[in-house]
Amino acid sequence: MTGLLLVNSLCKRFGGLVAVDSVSFEVIAGRVTAVIGPNGAGKTTLFNLISGTIPPTSGQILFAGQNITGHAPEKVAAQGLVRTFQLVQLFQNLSVEENVKVGCHLHTRGGVLAALFRPRWAREEERAVEANARELLEFVGLADVAEASAATLPYGQQRLLEIARALAARPKLLLLDEPAAGLNREETQQLSSVIRRISERGTTVLLIEHDMTLVMNTADAIVVLDFGCKIAEGAPEDIRTNPAVIEAYLGGVEGISSVTGDNRKVVADE
Amino acid sequence: MNEISYIIQVLVSGLGLGCIYGLIGIGYCVIYNASGIVNFAQGAFVMLGGMITQLLLWNHGVPLLLSGAIAVACVVAIAIVIERIVVRPLWDRNASTFVMILATLAVQIVLEGATLLIAGDQPKTLPVFTDLPPLRIGTVAISYQLIWIAAASAVIIFGLAAFFGHTRVGKAMRACAINREAAALQGIRVSTMLMMAFALSAALGAIAGILVTPTQVTAFNVGLPFAIAGFIAAIVGGFGRPFGAFLGGLALGVTQAGAVVVFGSGFKSGAALAVLLIFLFVRPQGILGTAK
Amino acid sequence: MRLHATILQLKAMTAQQSGSRRRLLAWLPGVIGVAIVLYTFIGGGYLVSVVSFGLIYALFVTGLNLFMGYTGQVSFGQNAFAAISGYMSAVLTTTYGWGVAPALACGIAATLVVALVVGYPALRLKGHYLAMATLAIGLIAYEVAVQWQSVTQGYMGISGIPPLGVFGYEITSDRGNLAFLALVAGLGVGAAALIRHSRLGRAMTAVAGSEDAARALGIDVARYKLLAFLIAAAYAGLAGSLFVHVVGFVSPEVYGLHMVNLAFTMLYVGGIGTIAGPLVGAIIIILLPETFRSFRDYQDMAYGAVLILLLIYAPRGLASLSDLWSGRARG
Repeated sequence: MTGLLLVNSLCKRFGGLVAVDSVSFEVIAGRVTAVIGPNGAGKTTLFNLISGTIPPTSGQILFAGQNITGHAPEKVAAQGLVRTFQLVQLFQNLSVEENVKVGCHLHTRGGVLAALFRPRWAREEERAVEANARELLEFVGLADVAEASAATLPYGQQRLLEIARALAARPKLLLLDEPAAGLNREETQQLSSVIRRISERGTTVLLIEHDMTLVMNTADAIVVLDFGCKIAEGAPEDIRTNPAVIEAYLGGVEGISSVTGDNRKVVADE
Repeated sequence: MNEISYIIQVLVSGLGLGCIYGLIGIGYCVIYNASGIVNFAQGAFVMLGGMITQLLLWNHGVPLLLSGAIAVACVVAIAIVIERIVVRPLWDRNASTFVMILATLAVQIVLEGATLLIAGDQPKTLPVFTDLPPLRIGTVAISYQLIWIAAASAVIIFGLAAFFGHTRVGKAMRACAINREAAALQGIRVSTMLMMAFALSAALGAIAGILVTPTQVTAFNVGLPFAIAGFIAAIVGGFGRPFGAFLGGLALGVTQAGAVVVFGSGFKSGAALAVLLIFLFVRPQGILGTAK
Repeated sequence: MRLHATILQLKAMTAQQSGSRRRLLAWLPGVIGVAIVLYTFIGGGYLVSVVSFGLIYALFVTGLNLFMGYTGQVSFGQNAFAAISGYMSAVLTTTYGWGVAPALACGIAATLVVALVVGYPALRLKGHYLAMATLAIGLIAYEVAVQWQSVTQGYMGISGIPPLGVFGYEITSDRGNLAFLALVAGLGVGAAALIRHSRLGRAMTAVAGSEDAARALGIDVARYKLLAFLIAAAYAGLAGSLFVHVVGFVSPEVYGLHMVNLAFTMLYVGGIGTIAGPLVGAIIIILLPETFRSFRDYQDMAYGAVLILLLIYAPRGLASLSDLWSGRARG
């Protein structure tokens, strides 16, 4: 049991507002960890801090033993921590397959000269990238639409494509920012299975989610935030019965049923 | 004439030109605040203001004041047409910033080309508004045209302050500047604001063009340097702040006048462009605070 | 469920079919471009030099397209890079008696150095700030060309620049120029195609698609913007130098705002972001005023008007034709 990601009393203030208030938790390698909490609890800010999109006011983020606090997003990604976005951010001008190929950027090389003169190593690398992209599209079930333009996919498939693209970067830790937002129930079920299979492949997953069905079906551990503070942490069955969590959700806009694993989908956005 | 009065003389003429840059700069801010668009055709309004006045005055013998008024009306009409047929379709399509810039730059080029066809390529000028020898304060001479420019600018600034502070349309424009979505929710028609902003901005440009023409010449291609100068004024003032833009214009006018003294007249536009790049690279938020 | 799956399959099949037809159509403009060049070469006459200019512009626009179409950035100042290399070529060959090839290489090298120095701070800017900064760079280059009379001879310009050639062999005929320029333009467009379908090209296109997503995948966005800017500057420099050697003369007007206007019109006619678009757009636009002789006096105005119409009604230029063909109208 080793902590792949260690978040240590992380704080973020926006002017007078404390969005994340000395939050500490740990993501164990090989597990699926979920961060939940009512709207405005600071989940997305927490994600942006971890992925380097914004710098923290104070606190520390350790990833695989390295201090990555305040590193730029591309540096964080190079360390093996890759994220997806709440609003899908595909490269709309590229095909489905090319999107995944872009994901291979980090573990390939080749610049201007390789592009122009195509030496043997570059051709081999390109073939490997192609095989990798095909394999990942197969994995998320998008092999049929590999040639299509990314912009034409239905929203559910765009989500899956974004995940496949992130996997192409071979992350040690995959951050999923509300992956079920905007998906229907069937698509959410498909997503659950993909997340479980990602975990089985050995990739650690950290996700923010509103959809409790998805969280309860996939997460091994849950961290609960409210008003920027961590109010609970533990296994799904403990969280379900935790009085502080129930209080937070009852006090907020969302019903308790969503916490207790009712199948009703909670419609919420940040 | 001693050294110091020479420098003062240069500064005074720099301030005069600075007022003009400031008015053009305000024109950028008005459109930018209403829509987020930077109108690269701003210089064409300046050029057309001077050109149309000149055509009416020389070719048709219309009195100067009336010529000027008609010219401003024409430029406003042209701006509204541009807004309708070029800017609006792109705005409705949510075109990118770049497409909008390119389209307005193309408008500038088309208007220049049309002016070249109609008025020819010979530089033209306007008579000064008041034909009297310059006022002398000590050893410094102040021409009446400079006084016209300063006075007109002051009137416009106070007029704008009243417009933004006390009229419904002015307040609505300010609301759009702060938050367009919220303004739309409050029932302000953002698209109407865009048209008004183009009209107001064109009027400012045309007036600036008429005021400045007697001090130099006008030709089909004078627009772009003025557009650049106005843009610099807007940037120095912190983009989107009309009064900041006016101060920015004054600062630029003085800087340019200083550069001409130190390096010679060939460096007039070079100095302005250098100021632009320095601000963009070092302090894009301007002197007066953060840009929006 | 089964029915649903079948429909999906059918959809995928038709998508593939129209995909391959689209790919065929994507080649069509390129084929037409090559056909025009060949026709001119065989037919001869004054069109030879016109198409030669078109090919030089095709190189310039191909570079612009790499930076703007692929990488999604803005530059109104590429004419500065054409000017630097063009003047460098002109001065080195006339005043210092250098050979054409080393002068040209030196010109492109100088262009790259300037692009690096200017691009590093400029590319931190976005939107209208970047647009204005690059426009200013173009105007500064023009001012320098006018003012630095001891080197550039101001408005007078420099004449008597030697024609293209290497090791004592010179291209003296118009047809020779056309053949050589067709070769260079072909290589230039081919290089752009190779870049587009490589790791580098994908990273550039990713920057255009979403900077946030690109960074999240480990792409150093600033680096790829600068790289695209440098490649575009190299194309501009090459075009600028070729121009002075083909024409034998250079003046500030050659690289004025006119060049920017013309280049953007070509880019939008051919289709921004496509591979063959710059070549096709350049040749079409360069031939237009020749077809309508009377049109020459108001070229700039007409180009501007065409550009506005394209931006409003056909933002993808000729490239949107293939959509019309396959019955899909988008964007």
